[in-house]
Amino acid sequence: MKAFSYVNPSSEKEAVAALKTDGIAMVIGGGQDLLARMKDYIDSPDRLVNVKGLDATMTSTPDGGMKIGSAVKIIDLFEHAQVAKLYPSVNAAAIEVGTPQIRNQGTVGGNVNQRPRCWYFRNEEFVCFKKGGSRCFAVNGENQYHAIFGNEGPSHIVHPSSLAVPFMAYGAKFRVLGPNGEREIAAADYFTMPTLQNVLKENVLDDEDILTHVILPAPGIVKSGHYEVRYKASHDWPLAFSTVVLTMSGNTISSARVVLGAVAPIPWRSKAAEAFLAGKPLNEATAAAAGEAAVSEAKPMSGNAYKVQIAKTAVKRAIMNAAGLNTV
Amino acid sequence: MANKYSWPEKPALLGTSVKRLDGPDKVTGRAKYTYDINRPGMLYGKMVRSPLPHARVVSIDLSAAEKAPGVKAVLAHVAVGAQVMYQGDPVAAVAADTEERALDAARMIRVRYEALPHFANVEQAMATDAPAVFPGGNTRQGATEETGDLVAGFAKAAHIVEATYATHVITHVCLETHGCVCEWDGDKLTAWISTQAVIQSAQQFAQALGIPQANVHTIMQYMGGGFGSKFGPDSQGIICAKLAKLAKAPVKLMLDRKEEHLDTGNRPSATAHIRAGITADGMLTAFDGQSWGTGGAGATSGFPLPYIYNFPTRKRTHKDVYINAGQQRAMRAPGHPQGCFLTEILMDELADTIKMDPVAFRVKNLPPAAPNAMWAEYFARGAKAFGWDKRHATGDPTPGPIKTGMGVSAHRWGGAGQGSQAHVDIMSDGGIVVKCGTQDIGTGTRTIVGMVAAETFGLPLSAIKVEIGDSLLPFSGGSGGSTTAASAMPAIRVTSVDALEALFAKVAPALGTAPENLVAEGGRIFIKGTPAKGLSWKDACKLIGTEPISVNGKWAQGLSGSGTSGVQFAEASVDIETGIVRVTRILAIQDCGLIVDKLTAESQAYGGVIAAINFALFEDRILDRVTGQMVNPNMEMYLLAGMSDVPKIDIMLNNMPERGVIGIGEPPTVSTASAIANAVRNATGATIRSLPLHPHKVLAALEQEKAGGTN
Ligand SMILES: Cc1cc2nc3c(=O)[nH]c(=O)nc-3n(C[C@H](O)[C@H](O)[C@H](O)COP(=O)(O)OP(=O)(O)OC[C@H]3O[C@@H](n4cnc5c(N)ncnc54)[C@H](O)[C@@H]3O)c2cc1C
Ligand code: SF4
Repeated sequence: MKAFSYVNPSSEKEAVAALKTDGIAMVIGGGQDLLARMKDYIDSPDRLVNVKGLDATMTSTPDGGMKIGSAVKIIDLFEHAQVAKLYPSVNAAAIEVGTPQIRNQGTVGGNVNQRPRCWYFRNEEFVCFKKGGSRCFAVNGENQYHAIFGNEGPSHIVHPSSLAVPFMAYGAKFRVLGPNGEREIAAADYFTMPTLQNVLKENVLDDEDILTHVILPAPGIVKSGHYEVRYKASHDWPLAFSTVVLTMSGNTISSARVVLGAVAPIPWRSKAAEAFLAGKPLNEATAAAAGEAAVSEAKPMSGNAYKVQIAKTAVKRAIMNAAGLNTV
Repeated sequence: MANKYSWPEKPALLGTSVKRLDGPDKVTGRAKYTYDINRPGMLYGKMVRSPLPHARVVSIDLSAAEKAPGVKAVLAHVAVGAQVMYQGDPVAAVAADTEERALDAARMIRVRYEALPHFANVEQAMATDAPAVFPGGNTRQGATEETGDLVAGFAKAAHIVEATYATHVITHVCLETHGCVCEWDGDKLTAWISTQAVIQSAQQFAQALGIPQANVHTIMQYMGGGFGSKFGPDSQGIICAKLAKLAKAPVKLMLDRKEEHLDTGNRPSATAHIRAGITADGMLTAFDGQSWGTGGAGATSGFPLPYIYNFPTRKRTHKDVYINAGQQRAMRAPGHPQGCFLTEILMDELADTIKMDPVAFRVKNLPPAAPNAMWAEYFARGAKAFGWDKRHATGDPTPGPIKTGMGVSAHRWGGAGQGSQAHVDIMSDGGIVVKCGTQDIGTGTRTIVGMVAAETFGLPLSAIKVEIGDSLLPFSGGSGGSTTAASAMPAIRVTSVDALEALFAKVAPALGTAPENLVAEGGRIFIKGTPAKGLSWKDACKLIGTEPISVNGKWAQGLSGSGTSGVQFAEASVDIETGIVRVTRILAIQDCGLIVDKLTAESQAYGGVIAAINFALFEDRILDRVTGQMVNPNMEMYLLAGMSDVPKIDIMLNNMPERGVIGIGEPPTVSTASAIANAVRNATGATIRSLPLHPHKVLAALEQEKAGGTN
């Protein structure tokens, strides 16, 4: 990797200031993603700004929600009792991330902002749209792990973050600090679909922005469920997964959030499944039909139609989890 | 005929479970692998490789690298105008004072290429309009093998199954990558090298560098896996030696994971279009198979087909297809996992045409039982131990998405001994040194060398000092083809027996008897039948005098054998809503002649089974179909089982002392994938005729099954 300088700021403001440079500066959390990219010559920053020293606490907010510092380790997020109680799907997603080593080292901020895992992106030989090139190798190539939704291009990645999916399902807001001060962005607006203009990024952060907190609203009277379909039991990525958050009145679903992961360039909200679920009783038949609805608009690529079935199952089983039913 | 060298009838150590001699050294880090060797003033080598699958080298500019900080040597490995035939084909190299600087400098070497047409897969290479990429043709048709009257054979068949079966390319993924440390002293080379063939590596260094073999000293004390891919210095070893010569300093050159995937061998793919016939009462009648496969750029891809079972009439043709990818190398039982898979899936399909139990059907069509063909017995023993009677017919009737099934498969392997030599010293203080130029590639050779000597001398293993893994030691062959134990153990036995005889000659007068009346047991030398009349080993050795007993010996007939057989049972569950396969149980029944160390023999079986679970479910070398470049040259996207993907594995070893020592490194990896695929078929009713059993294939097969059969 290219030699770089290292800055260890003691405050959020210092961190933002340190990102201003003539060369390339990048934020480093646990480094589980960034260091690998540097070793593989996918990125060669001149300066790293360490944000592990910033807020690593999880605190209750006045409205009954929670505020999670972006320096919180994934393992600490998993082990936090209040998080597990209020947001069981965040808890469920956290424990499935990568491996124990990755969870011990990786941070919430790093997980949400990690770059795509597309194998063309991760190998130096392939200069695709996301690396300033002018094509997407996945289109005519090996796309078995690529998107089945949001396939308008130019890039066909699936968003890699496991945590982003439950965050979105629970209606999280992301607090961002930049040279012009701070702003709060709804999870749904944070992640961006690729266009030719913004294909080098997966979210709204500017070069000198940092994510400081994830703010989860009070969950309300909901049932939530999370289900991941994984090929290997560990040290692997989900083929597709889903978080559902169901607002209940009695045993009837009054409204629903259905978010899918590993299926689109952003955490993918299924409006079709949400519309279907409203007003339905919570049972297995509803779950199965909602799974069908969730994939009704899927547009797979040449080699990943099988993921439609998997995504459908993930949604169905997430709902069954929410209902407390056995999934298999 | 029993003779003085014959294996003991009532061994004290042989066949028992003995912990590895070097276990503590390995787990504490005292064991030094090639990677751990550091020499004073040592530099680090790094290679530059072709990023393109096929190209002509237009220019190589070394100047920037030569001027880079810390760089001590730079070389071009190919001439301008030469062709590179696969991604990863070596082009140039550098040596610098740190690994990082070597890497930086390697990236400063500017190579310009003119891209040439390439093949990323066999379909492209076999296309009728394919360009001529390989000199002498893109494919090579092998001879036709034919037995009996095929037409008559098919005429006898009540049912015929016709389908295409395939296995894919996987790489060796040795945990320790390939590489060495080279150090020159004038025109003498010392190389610490991660190799399965320490003496042969010395020979290959000498040949490639144009120096006498006597000037080369190679050393391999500990190795993190080879699996058939480490039989010599390869390009990286020769380049390392050249860099060390140029730089006048020792150089370490270990490959990285990407280089491993691209350029250190792989298991060739295998595809066969097969027609096979069966009578109404379950006798095989005919086999007609056309197969092809790729071993990469200009390499072969042969494998046995049909496998094991007795097809009275058969015909088989095979074609090697060349693609622009790294060349294949021997990989754990070369050819057999492929031939086994293609045949064993077919066998279950055939059995189903007459609704016959797969075990009964197999037993009916086996070649005659023999010491190296014990399948009938193993099928019976295994079926009982595994609970085969609880197997349902094809298609698990249990409601819900999880379907469970059982499968079975059989295999064979050769293994044989020859040519090893050994040396034994017994010192007057009772110390024993056993020397042999074999190597322990992680299989436990060091331990079993010591065990055979300890057994012979009637001493505990701890009494023996074992020296192996060094080209200055007595000759022994490379560790391949499951031949190490069968070659080295007889040499150790013969030499130890001769050394003991020499000791008896010194001790006999003191005990007032003739040497032939003495035995060595339980740490004592005494008169046969009267243990009281004897001496402790230590006291006996005091009689040796100033000149130690020093004996050379070599492999002899009668102590080793050849030919093994095995059967494996698998249980797997399939989630039919996701296509995910989980292997839940494996039973491996295996013989390997006389078992030396039960523990390390079982360990080979465990390792073989786990490697084959990877072959069945996870591993896949994926080349981008357009660019021909590998998309998963790492250990993240090139999937490998973790602990939680490994099922319960039971090993049943059949000890056959009368057959002598036969190897076990390879056979246990042959059947597993076939047994798993058959279990998946039994669970779901859907036939997947190619590996790996990735969810996309499982789901596709289930879809087809729903649509009315998979043919
Ligand atoms: C084999 C394997 C399996 C994996 N499986 C999963 C999985 O199942 N699910 C999953 O979610 N992940 C998975 N991962 C990825 C892993 O979880 C992430 O790499 C890790 O969470 C990143 O966190 P980090 O703190 O180490 O990030 P870093 O590597 O430090 O940073 C990642 C990126 O985010 C940016 N960044 C970090 N913090 C901030 C911040 N506060 N503000 C703005 N930008 C920031 C960095 O600049 C960098 O670009 C897997 C990884 C591997 C190797
Ligand atoms: S999917 Fe995106 S990251 Fe992958 S090759 Fe296409 S453009 Fe590049």
